[in-house]
Amino acid sequence: MKYRDELIRAMEWLGEKPNTVFTGQAIALSGHAISGTMVKVPSEKRIELPVLEETQLGMATGLALEGFVPITCYPRFDFFILSMNQLVNHLDKMREMTENKMQPKVIIRVAVGSKKPFSAGPQHTQDHTEAMKLMLTDIDIVTLNKPEDIFPAFEKAYERTDGKSTLIIEYADYYGTK
Amino acid sequence: MRKSYTVQELIDFETRVKEAYEVGQIKGPVHLSRNNELKLIELFQRINESDWVFSAWRNHYHALLHGVDPEYLFKTISEGKSMGTNNIEPNFYASSIVGGIIPIALGVAQALKLKNSPNKVWCFIGDMTMETGGFWEAYKYSRNFNLPLQFVVEDNNLSVHTPTTTAWNKRMKVPEGVIYYDYEMHYPHHGTGNWVNF
Repeated sequence: MKYRDELIRAMEWLGEKPNTVFTGQAIALSGHAISGTMVKVPSEKRIELPVLEETQLGMATGLALEGFVPITCYPRFDFFILSMNQLVNHLDKMREMTENKMQPKVIIRVAVGSKKPFSAGPQHTQDHTEAMKLMLTDIDIVTLNKPEDIFPAFEKAYERTDGKSTLIIEYADYYGTK
Repeated sequence: MRKSYTVQELIDFETRVKEAYEVGQIKGPVHLSRNNELKLIELFQRINESDWVFSAWRNHYHALLHGVDPEYLFKTISEGKSMGTNNIEPNFYASSIVGGIIPIALGVAQALKLKNSPNKVWCFIGDMTMETGGFWEAYKYSRNFNLPLQFVVEDNNLSVHTPTTTAWNKRMKVPEGVIYYDYEMHYPHHGTGNWVNF
């Protein structure tokens, strides 16, 4: 069981679900580590987006309000923090604001950039997981530390019935080492 | 069947909110509408009950005209939730963050297109919101992908009490396909203009 293989298996399983869509930059095309885990997801389910990180997260919320389960992907935490308004003020607060009338279920994939064998520097390798734990009140936060964590995390995120969205954090350093 | 409203009925609803607010019954901010009743009544004749409507903090007229029950609306306002009015059947969502509804409205429109739904999304924004980068990227995306998203710009030339023309020096031209109207504010940005002791 390898880290990257498990990500591919989880994406393949999600890709078989009728109501999933995958969004982000380099999701329908190649470009970064997450792109390579999409190889078994049907192409018609992959929506290639421009660079609009905040809008991307709001779009995922909107897709979920109409019954889709979007898997929206950010290849680096450094880029993901551009979406904080939609994450913290909107998706995270929607169940509270609507008294559970609206329960958009979004799966967010965020990768922490790799530092080995070379580091891409301070704007491409930050890990803000602890900050997310302080900022989010409703979205479930899951870190993928071992290959065996991966499939169950995505399975739970998709099948959960508590109305929550899930932020799943992975580590590019583990792609080749675990 | 959605209730239709006259100009006076809309004004009466906001007056009821104003009076409740001024005697301290509403323990949260209210943003009251006035002077745009006719334009909105006319616009909502084009909005189907099954369409989505997105609005912002000044949302009472939009909610009523889209079919949100007035007593439910008054109850939520009384609970201090005026800025975040929301409802399902009809689908209505408002946010008190400037421009926050725009990406969500865009995503709903994308979903409706993926589902080949006949429904549409209506997104009401102010003139200062139209100047933000978030509006322009969503507008561009919705046009380029032919999404069923209709923006409506309601121009009072104010963001809180700052004139948009002062803050930006000059205004962007309203882009093609966006519905636009202007009106003059009657009430202040929030509250009624009278001091309230809670």
